[in-house]
Amino acid sequence: MAYEPQADFGTPQVASETRVTLTIDGRSVTVPQGTSLMRAAALTGGSIPKLCASDNLAAFGSCRLCLVEVDGMRGTPASCTTPAAEGMTVHTQTPRLQKLRRGVMELYISDHPLDCLTCSANNDCELQDQAAAVGLRDVRFGYAGENHLGLAADTSNPYFDFDPSKCIACSRCVRACDEVQGTFALTMDGRGFASKISAGQAGDDFLSSECVSCGACVQACPTATLQEKAVKEIGKPERSVITTCAYCGVGCTFRAEMRGEQLVRMVPWKDGKANHGHSCVKGRFAWGYAQHKDRITAPMIRESIDQPWREVSWDEALGFAASRLQSIKAQYGARALGGITSSRCTNEETFLVQKLVRAGFGTNNVDTCARVCHSPTGYGLKTTFGTSAGTQDFDSVEHSDVILVIGANPTDAHPVFASRMKRRLRKGAKLIVIDPRRIDLVRSAHIAAEYHLPLQPGTNVAVLTAMAHVIVTEGLADEAFIRERCDWDEYQDWARFVSDERHSPEVLEAVSRVPAADLRAAARLFATGGNGAIYYGLGVTEHSQGSSTVMAIANLAMATGNVGRPGVGVNPLRGQNNVQGACDMGSFPHELSGYRHISDTATRALFEADWGVTLDPEPGLRIPNMLDAAVDGSFRAIYIQGEDILQSDPNTHHVAAGLKAMDCVIVHDLFLNETANYAHVFLPGSTFLEKTGTFTNAERRIQMVRKVMEPANGMEDWQVTQALANAMGLGWNYTHPSQIMDEVARLTPSFAGVSHARLDEAGSLQWPVNEAHPDGSPIMHEAGFANGKGKFVVTDYVPTDEKTGPRFPLLLTTGRILSHYNVGAQTRRTANTAWHPEDLLEMHPTDAENRGLKSGDWTRLASRTGETTLRLLVTDRVAPGVVYTTFHHPATQANVVTTEFSDWATNCPEYKVTAVQVMASNGPTDWQEDYEALSARSRRIAPEIPAEAAE
Amino acid sequence: MTVVRISDDALALACGADAVAAAFVGAGCTVERVSSWGMHWLEPLVELDGKGFGPAVPGDVAAILNGTSAKAIGIIADHPFIARQQRLTFARAGKTRPLDLADYAATGGWAGLYRARSIGAPAIIAEMSQSGLRGRGGAGFPAGIKWQTVASAPGDRKFIVCNADEGDSGTFADRMLMEGDPFQLIEGMAIAAHAVGAGQGYIYVRSEYPHAIAKLNAAITLAAEIIAPFTIEVRVGAGAYVCGEETSLLNSIEGKRGEVRAKPPLPAHQGLFGQPTVINNVLTLAAVPHILSEGGAVLYDSHGFGRSKGTKPIQLAGNIRHGGVFETPFGITLHDLIYDIGGGTASGRPVKAVQVGGPLGAYIHPDRFDLPFDYEAYAGADALIGHGGVVVFDDTADMGKLARFAMEFCAVESCGKCTPCRIGSTRGVELIDRIRGGATAGGAVESLPQMHNAAKTPRSREADIELLEDLCETMKFGSLCALGGFTPYPVLSALRHWPEDFG
Amino acid sequence: MDVAHLTLMANQIARNFAVQGDERAAAATAEHITLFWDPRMKAAIRAGGGADLSPIAAAALSRLD
Repeated sequence: MAYEPQADFGTPQVASETRVTLTIDGRSVTVPQGTSLMRAAALTGGSIPKLCASDNLAAFGSCRLCLVEVDGMRGTPASCTTPAAEGMTVHTQTPRLQKLRRGVMELYISDHPLDCLTCSANNDCELQDQAAAVGLRDVRFGYAGENHLGLAADTSNPYFDFDPSKCIACSRCVRACDEVQGTFALTMDGRGFASKISAGQAGDDFLSSECVSCGACVQACPTATLQEKAVKEIGKPERSVITTCAYCGVGCTFRAEMRGEQLVRMVPWKDGKANHGHSCVKGRFAWGYAQHKDRITAPMIRESIDQPWREVSWDEALGFAASRLQSIKAQYGARALGGITSSRCTNEETFLVQKLVRAGFGTNNVDTCARVCHSPTGYGLKTTFGTSAGTQDFDSVEHSDVILVIGANPTDAHPVFASRMKRRLRKGAKLIVIDPRRIDLVRSAHIAAEYHLPLQPGTNVAVLTAMAHVIVTEGLADEAFIRERCDWDEYQDWARFVSDERHSPEVLEAVSRVPAADLRAAARLFATGGNGAIYYGLGVTEHSQGSSTVMAIANLAMATGNVGRPGVGVNPLRGQNNVQGACDMGSFPHELSGYRHISDTATRALFEADWGVTLDPEPGLRIPNMLDAAVDGSFRAIYIQGEDILQSDPNTHHVAAGLKAMDCVIVHDLFLNETANYAHVFLPGSTFLEKTGTFTNAERRIQMVRKVMEPANGMEDWQVTQALANAMGLGWNYTHPSQIMDEVARLTPSFAGVSHARLDEAGSLQWPVNEAHPDGSPIMHEAGFANGKGKFVVTDYVPTDEKTGPRFPLLLTTGRILSHYNVGAQTRRTANTAWHPEDLLEMHPTDAENRGLKSGDWTRLASRTGETTLRLLVTDRVAPGVVYTTFHHPATQANVVTTEFSDWATNCPEYKVTAVQVMASNGPTDWQEDYEALSARSRRIAPEIPAEAAE
Repeated sequence: MTVVRISDDALALACGADAVAAAFVGAGCTVERVSSWGMHWLEPLVELDGKGFGPAVPGDVAAILNGTSAKAIGIIADHPFIARQQRLTFARAGKTRPLDLADYAATGGWAGLYRARSIGAPAIIAEMSQSGLRGRGGAGFPAGIKWQTVASAPGDRKFIVCNADEGDSGTFADRMLMEGDPFQLIEGMAIAAHAVGAGQGYIYVRSEYPHAIAKLNAAITLAAEIIAPFTIEVRVGAGAYVCGEETSLLNSIEGKRGEVRAKPPLPAHQGLFGQPTVINNVLTLAAVPHILSEGGAVLYDSHGFGRSKGTKPIQLAGNIRHGGVFETPFGITLHDLIYDIGGGTASGRPVKAVQVGGPLGAYIHPDRFDLPFDYEAYAGADALIGHGGVVVFDDTADMGKLARFAMEFCAVESCGKCTPCRIGSTRGVELIDRIRGGATAGGAVESLPQMHNAAKTPRSREADIELLEDLCETMKFGSLCALGGFTPYPVLSALRHWPEDFG
Repeated sequence: MDVAHLTLMANQIARNFAVQGDERAAAATAEHITLFWDPRMKAAIRAGGGADLSPIAAAALSRLD
């Protein structure tokens, strides 16, 4: 597609059943009541000059370029703020209007730089376009008057500059920050001619302000005032490609705007159904890692991990890997091999990796990083609702009246969806937050939770059971819904269980530390406040009771009748871009694509016929089991695509021991990650910008990823997996990823209607897409649950074995921060480090004072498993007795301290609860120093011509 | 015991009323502090047995008490300035103690509210419509229709907002009403609340009115039980003229930047905190108790001229001999106001121009002093009644300078939201300076060879005048609110009638 | 495989089903292990002798045969 900005209709679309018909410049147009004249005119193909209007912002009426004449109305109303009415006759281009518009433009240009040709927004500037449109030829005021041309630029943000001398004070940036992003970081300072945009307080610049660098202001700016630095450096894009972001599970779609092979900027796609034209700092700006100097583009091998790496040809690397795999298989059997699929890779790539493991290696030892994040979601929702997926689309939140957020921090981890949620909250929906930490949603600009239940980490089930107790014992359950949709006997069992006095908020307060009165009030609000929606994240799943908590959430939704329509539902916020897809594609050791158990003969037969192999009917090993088995000697080779288990998985020592014990570790990644320190084969990977395929986001939305540039390593990841398969003699011959999706569709009922061609045509599809749902399924369980009747499961609160005591008196919980993503492999290699250069340990002032610690101090964080050092941030966001950190930086090695306790049903690690002690420290621990040395040694790459060994 | 009455209105205080009152106390008199009659040139005005003496100084006490004062003006109520008025809104002016509930009740206070409660909301609105009362803030929108709109608008909560941000030059009637008869305003708001179903009211007062703020707060406390469950809160402005514009005012109450909102939506549909809101001026709301008293609506409607019904408290100010508040039915001419009632200029020099309706009102030439005080007649003459302020200038006034002042005022007070007002007012000042300065050579930038398209020859005075007219047209039709939209009126009227003052 | 660790896992599963009553809990635990454990894990725990297994977990394992 050649470069052309996306169409802007000036004011937002209006949803109204009533339609009005009017005449604009002689053309008749019918629009929903409440539509502005500006939008109505744009829909007829007309173009009314505008500068302050944009169709993702409420009409503002400040620029006064869009004035029109309406028969029978006095004066010249602004078309952006005047609603269309039945029978109106509107004139948008008359000599009188032309003169007025020219007069307004003359004023603008009397206070604007005149050197357009050398401006970075040249030919990409609405002011310039509108000056041309109104035919301005002379600025009769001259240029000697008062002006803003000498104002200094603010270049503090690493991705964009703010040049106030080019500002036309349209407030689009302020409004985008308020209405679209919901951060309220920008303001119009001063008044009259002195009005100017200000980030934060006097003395702030963009970087030091509350700005979260989402870029909505940059996108909104009609001039070069707020503009990407990359555009200044490279120039205006000349083409654009629609693709899908490879960061979190929101799945924002972007226009990758290119100049030749160079990516100039990522602009969120307005037609993207997940993000509707919004983005966060990561998706919009943090793509520089793709060109980072650390990126490895040539295959490498080594005999053992104490040797330096040797760059070799693809053939040699693949041959080396294949022969090791085959000899291990010959000696130890197929079950000694395994693989890990990546939630960051495409569905097609993930499908191929699990196919390689099952059909090529001959084992079901395949797992995925969902193991350590949302595997309890898979188990819990499958058990209760019959499908392992969230029930809603993101748009559903527009219809919610009460939003319950538990164990999720959307403003940091799912920022684009958080902005949608905040917009709904500002319009009046009520919020309940269940989280040990006072996350931003609890109280931020124009948002305040009705109830924040700051529970003790590890007591989710107790809190949810207590809520259920209130709902059932106070007669607030939706019995009509339950009788119709659920198994009534199971409900009664469950209701009896939760009604027991020992599950009352008053009794459980001792366990959860949540005030009973608040909990009761929150439960009543959720049950009676209208459409109730539950959003949750890893604070639910990454516990010993992760699966129980997911089921408790499902129970709560069913008991209150909040399933099966817009505005309600159970919504897991997925961590990684394609964690939903990786699970859908059969990445778990016990099931094939579409969540069908490997022991099911009919399903296996389908795959066996298609693949021409016999499949092992027994479930394979999960990641932690693989590591156990490796230490044990029965698991010896692994192919890891796009995951850094050493940094992301719990108990780093144990992961290292498992990897070290293996004979063949194949790492397929962009960088020499931490896991690669223990690898024998390194296969260079490609970024999402360099490949074609699909990602599936948290709302089950399958979206196209399109190649915008050639892979730096020469191959897309699916091609690498195919080459490895063929090196093992499997004879695969896919020539395009669409063929892989065709295979998925052929073998997976819920994907039956999915193909790249359909996705190109529809933009995106939400599975199931099949005969019953040819256009996909935004909302699930509308007519009934996937498994017939919704299943209430009694979820007993079984406390974790991880306990605080005199030696480890504090509870550590972990999370992520806005500017970084997961283990930081990508974001640490971008300017996002400007906001978060290191992981910090958050501690309550009381605990800090007891230890004589203050913000900035180096501290030693120790658990029964291990210890690490990091710096302290004293804050009352965490409750006394709780400490919190992120795991984005390998130097911190937060997972050195996390334990091997895990979810009872899925072995999802208990990252969120570790008993720890914190004390002052002088510097890195022995492990950190040893590891750093190992890392340096392990990352050595031999020079191309090996030097003679010097004696 | 001799009882004398002296006003505690801010103007009387500024003229030394407290010292005069103290002197009377010293002379053994009982002093009642009442509202002001509104004859400013006589303040401090001392009332003794209905007779007036003013302007009084402490040294006059003995003479006043022994009947020898040369400052005697006779029976105050019979003074021509008062006798010629038709006081409905200012009926209590000079006669009651502002914070005395008994005085208020004894003079018909609360009768309107009690009757309103008994007849119910639809009947209240019907009587409001029948009275013909139009908004006294300047726009002249029929109050009954506004109330009806709010009454029928769906909303969780509804509000009554009183606009008391009286910022126009030469106006003081709101201040005098709030200081002198605060219960009447409160009663009017309570009736409005009853009519539309509002629970909360706000009075937005400019910070320059500390006496009014104190009186209102005291009066609200005293009247709380009477108006309950309706409650009223005083909100104090921060000095921005534009916050007298209703939507800026609402933003200001909400704690936001005092920036104008585009309309629609009208405040009656989405006003304060997005809820249906009645926003009326002090004088509009203060006229309500009278209208709602028995037969009030019909009486009110019987006054006036054309579609301008009832009485208008006109404020005579500037260079005028007898300044003050003059409440009269619509229809009176400027000639009568300035010469017959106002006594001509204070300086004694000939009148050159009159500005009616505040800083955005046109300058009216003596040729047009036959204009009747009426919304439609003024609009037809490109002039403005506004809040009823009449500011008189004598022949020493420089109308070019006053035109410049109009632009400067707009530049200083612009909220900055819309382009014509934000940039246009500053360019207007520069342009008038350029015209008046005579030198209109092309600028240094324009003469650069790189500026190929710019005019190279100096611009003529005629071209600059044309540019000023174009700028005024852009501001008039392009501005978001009346600040930018009406600034052209004083500018163009000055240019039209007194071109010689533009150099 | 580390039997102690497998025992811990089996006991944890059993504990979470315990609320259903011993009989149903044992059946559910057995089903869970069948569905989600790799064959060598099942073999190892059965070969491990059953020391430290909770009664429900032990009952579950006996059903696997």
